[in-house]
Amino acid sequence: MKTVQVGQHTAPEPTWTEIRAYQRRAWLRRRARAAMPRGMRGGAVPDGVPRPLFPQRRFMRTPDKQLGATPAKALPAPPSAAVIALTRLGFGPRPGDVEAFDALGANDSQRLQAWLAQQLDPASIDDSAADARLAQSSFETLDKPLTQLWQDHTMAEDWEIHMQPFWETQLATFVRAIHSRRQLFEVIAEFWHNHFSIYADDFLIGSVWVHNDRDAIRSHALGNFRQMLEAVTQTPAMLFYLDNAFNSEEDANENFARELMELHTLGAAAYFGSLPQNQVPVDEHGVPIGYVEDDVVGAARCLTGWTVESQYVHWQFGETGQFLYWDDWHDHGAKTAVGLNLPANQGPMQDGWDLLDRLASHPATGRHIATKLCRRLLGDSPPQSVIDAAAAVFTDNWQAADQIAQVVSTIVLSPEFLTTWGDKVKRPFEIAASSFRGAGGDLAFELQDDVSNWFYWVYYQTGQPLFSWHPPNGYPDFKAAWNTTSPRVYCWRLANFFVQLWNEDTEEHYFDLLGQTPAETRAAQELVDFWSERILGRPMPTDEEQKLVTFMAQGANPNTDLDLDDWDVQERLRALVALILMSPSFLWR
Amino acid sequence: MCVTRRGFMMGCSAAIAGLAGTRFNTVSFADPNLNQEILLVLFLRGGVDGLTVVSPIDGSDRGHYEAARPNLQIPVSGPGASLPLNSQFGLHPSMAPLHDLYQNGNLAIIQAVGMLDLVNKSHFDAMQFIELGTPGENTISTGWLTRHLSSAGNLPPELTIPSLAIGDLQPQSLLGSLETVNMANPESFNVSNGPWNWREAQKTTLRELYEGDSSWLHDAGVAALDAADIVEANVTGGYEPANGAVYPNGPFGDHLQVLAQMIKLDLGLQTATVDLGGWDTHESQGIGSEGYLSDLLGVLAQGLAAFYIDLDGAGASNYTQRLTVVVQSEFGRELFENGDNGTEHGYGNQMMVLSGNAVGGMHGNWPGLGPGQLVDGTDLAVTTDYRQVLSEILIRRMCNINLDFIFPGYSGYQPLGIVQGEDLLPPGVFSDGFESGNLNSWSSSSG
Repeated sequence: MKTVQVGQHTAPEPTWTEIRAYQRRAWLRRRARAAMPRGMRGGAVPDGVPRPLFPQRRFMRTPDKQLGATPAKALPAPPSAAVIALTRLGFGPRPGDVEAFDALGANDSQRLQAWLAQQLDPASIDDSAADARLAQSSFETLDKPLTQLWQDHTMAEDWEIHMQPFWETQLATFVRAIHSRRQLFEVIAEFWHNHFSIYADDFLIGSVWVHNDRDAIRSHALGNFRQMLEAVTQTPAMLFYLDNAFNSEEDANENFARELMELHTLGAAAYFGSLPQNQVPVDEHGVPIGYVEDDVVGAARCLTGWTVESQYVHWQFGETGQFLYWDDWHDHGAKTAVGLNLPANQGPMQDGWDLLDRLASHPATGRHIATKLCRRLLGDSPPQSVIDAAAAVFTDNWQAADQIAQVVSTIVLSPEFLTTWGDKVKRPFEIAASSFRGAGGDLAFELQDDVSNWFYWVYYQTGQPLFSWHPPNGYPDFKAAWNTTSPRVYCWRLANFFVQLWNEDTEEHYFDLLGQTPAETRAAQELVDFWSERILGRPMPTDEEQKLVTFMAQGANPNTDLDLDDWDVQERLRALVALILMSPSFLWR
Repeated sequence: MCVTRRGFMMGCSAAIAGLAGTRFNTVSFADPNLNQEILLVLFLRGGVDGLTVVSPIDGSDRGHYEAARPNLQIPVSGPGASLPLNSQFGLHPSMAPLHDLYQNGNLAIIQAVGMLDLVNKSHFDAMQFIELGTPGENTISTGWLTRHLSSAGNLPPELTIPSLAIGDLQPQSLLGSLETVNMANPESFNVSNGPWNWREAQKTTLRELYEGDSSWLHDAGVAALDAADIVEANVTGGYEPANGAVYPNGPFGDHLQVLAQMIKLDLGLQTATVDLGGWDTHESQGIGSEGYLSDLLGVLAQGLAAFYIDLDGAGASNYTQRLTVVVQSEFGRELFENGDNGTEHGYGNQMMVLSGNAVGGMHGNWPGLGPGQLVDGTDLAVTTDYRQVLSEILIRRMCNINLDFIFPGYSGYQPLGIVQGEDLLPPGVFSDGFESGNLNSWSSSSG
């Protein structure tokens, strides 16, 4: 997907955005290398140690890996409501979370209801600890208004200053996922970021990314979709990413209009190709049930003149980065789009507002977004009944201030929420965040901190760098996409990376496993059970538990205390905790 | 010489007996009855502007093209002129390295390909339809390459790496494949970064955790462990391209180089996928033969040419004699440029096939750019079903005749003559035990 190459408007040097991206990657690698503890630099094999022999021949193709060879297998039984909620509506349990959840009621249904009520009112949750944690990271850009971001960063020649808002948002997103008590809010914010996906590692987008995250996504994450839609439509990030900034009567550009309908609102299921507009079936209100190519053209015309106040767009404009409705560029003719017959010469922006109203209130939009939310919060194949219920709530309440909260509530309180499990695998972002939460890790998450940058480089290879999916459809949200060898191997590597991460200044591990292990927990069996319960919020299933105990005991009696003062046993404990973070039970959701 | 599934089934026991207990690995490829071809599918994501890649240089279509593209047209003479392919068409000048291969007869260009009778201008629908191999349908749970691999009867039952998806994620053409190694960088593709003293023990336990049960998650975990073991054991040290091949800087060049490196390890590779994105040029794609798209086409051509040269000739074990590279995109772009020096989503597009066995030259039926010839008044028509191109490669190179299984619903296959090879008759149905019911039972557990 080509992202905006606005640099071409000022200098005919077309690949420099790419070059910048390479410079940044090289910079990340340099920082990462510099930050590596000495023992891990340049490969982890100490001198003189022979390469381990390949244990036995392996084959990717074997008869039992053929299609049809694997018998259908029952999925794992669903865990408690606490674990399901904390895993799917949050980024995994932290110590005390399961107990707090269970104290909310006499049964799972009551507890879930009470927990959800809190989470859907994030302002009511004291999040001062997370705020304090964010403050420690010394972010400089998160509170800057759009025009200040534009002036301080978009205009900055220095690449590190230019991209600072993007990088700080990435790090802050980790801090919030790990530390915020408003866990559902963070999950839903991530959902919307993927729904309105933008490749933000780009020239005119990275410098104002704080604005998109804060003022478009987070401001409306649990609020009203129609308001969020307009906010997103008007961010410079989206206007540049999908080219609507350049959409004018004379030079129409349908890139945004198409994705607005296909991805943001009506959905591909409502696309009727190049059928004539008047042949699309209509519903009982006379509204076409879907859209066609001519509607893409019509919608693009509605949004002509919706642009950015910047000289990257027009030499006559100021340089504020603010949304600008430029009437000279607007197509004032009569238009048709998705059953709207808009007269010529409506007032400023009215065509666009009418279009967004039509799209936000259209039943296909409700179905599209309800389906996606169910896929995120339940599993890959959510029951149609839940989708239908959520879609109806979405459409019936399209003007309500708490529309999205109502839809989320409908899904979470459906009976199927607590009976669905194992129809999905955690994506890398969830794996990373829940590893921090479960194993009690912390990093500085500062831009100037080499270890934070090193972490991000290791994380980057898992396939889900934040806000960095190139096409506008967002990271895939079905299990097959994340169940291949590369995400799995690099997420496993991430676990090993975490447990060994060493702070050279304090001479402590960033994941202080020893310090968090109670003094009375010393036998292999106890260590496995303690850390499994800590990380999963529930006991490890017996078959996995036994293999972990065997590993930790290494031939000794699993109930005999191990000497955790012994460095070698400490290393074994770190390998054990990594194994829990790599286990199937950690990945189900 | 092609061996069909039936032939393979008959010859199979002899081959196994001949190996006297050795499991199939690279040695099996000494057996001439087994298919040794390598198919690379390179997908250009975003909808490449085919009328910039191959533009008309003469006749009435040149007139239509110039009228529709006052700013974007590739000149026929002077600086930045297109490189003639024949009397009618020219290749973008940035693609000179591919033009050399074209002149050597290694590049077939098939015009006006796509999904026949199905205009769909959604990137995501179109890519899904094409890669699943079922235009208009997105419900099947396997990609077309997955089904090719599972129905190729002329492969040994065990292969080290039959399939590679180079990149961070696996494309939908390989949806549901458990025999694919999805990887971007072999140097770090391992789980050997645990605490040093416990590294091997940890890996053993990790394997036990995943081998201890069977589910879509467990099975994929074992595949990932197998993949990591194989890559770690086989990829040692750096890689030096042969024949002075120079890959372009950046992920695309890196990925092709990794693929060449993996091919040369002789691990039984049958199919590979590589992606190159950045083609959705709604805006500022360039002026004439300069600019963004020109640069990207340069990267594409340099990468492909480096890959080909790296694998060509006696110094590179003549891999190009067993290699077929297919280049495709989800759709072409409108004939008419938009006002932002870009182009909107269109329909028909070319495919390219690069191979030591290519029948070089221009193929397919050119539908013309005249007003009555365009689809919806804006788009190049589609005259060749993309599955026809792929089917010919499957039959003539991969010797897999099971088109019904790989492309359900597709019929009427006829070779276009893009690659050399024997024409085998595709069967009406799978008749020897691998019924489509197997697919369904698999999908219910893994969908």
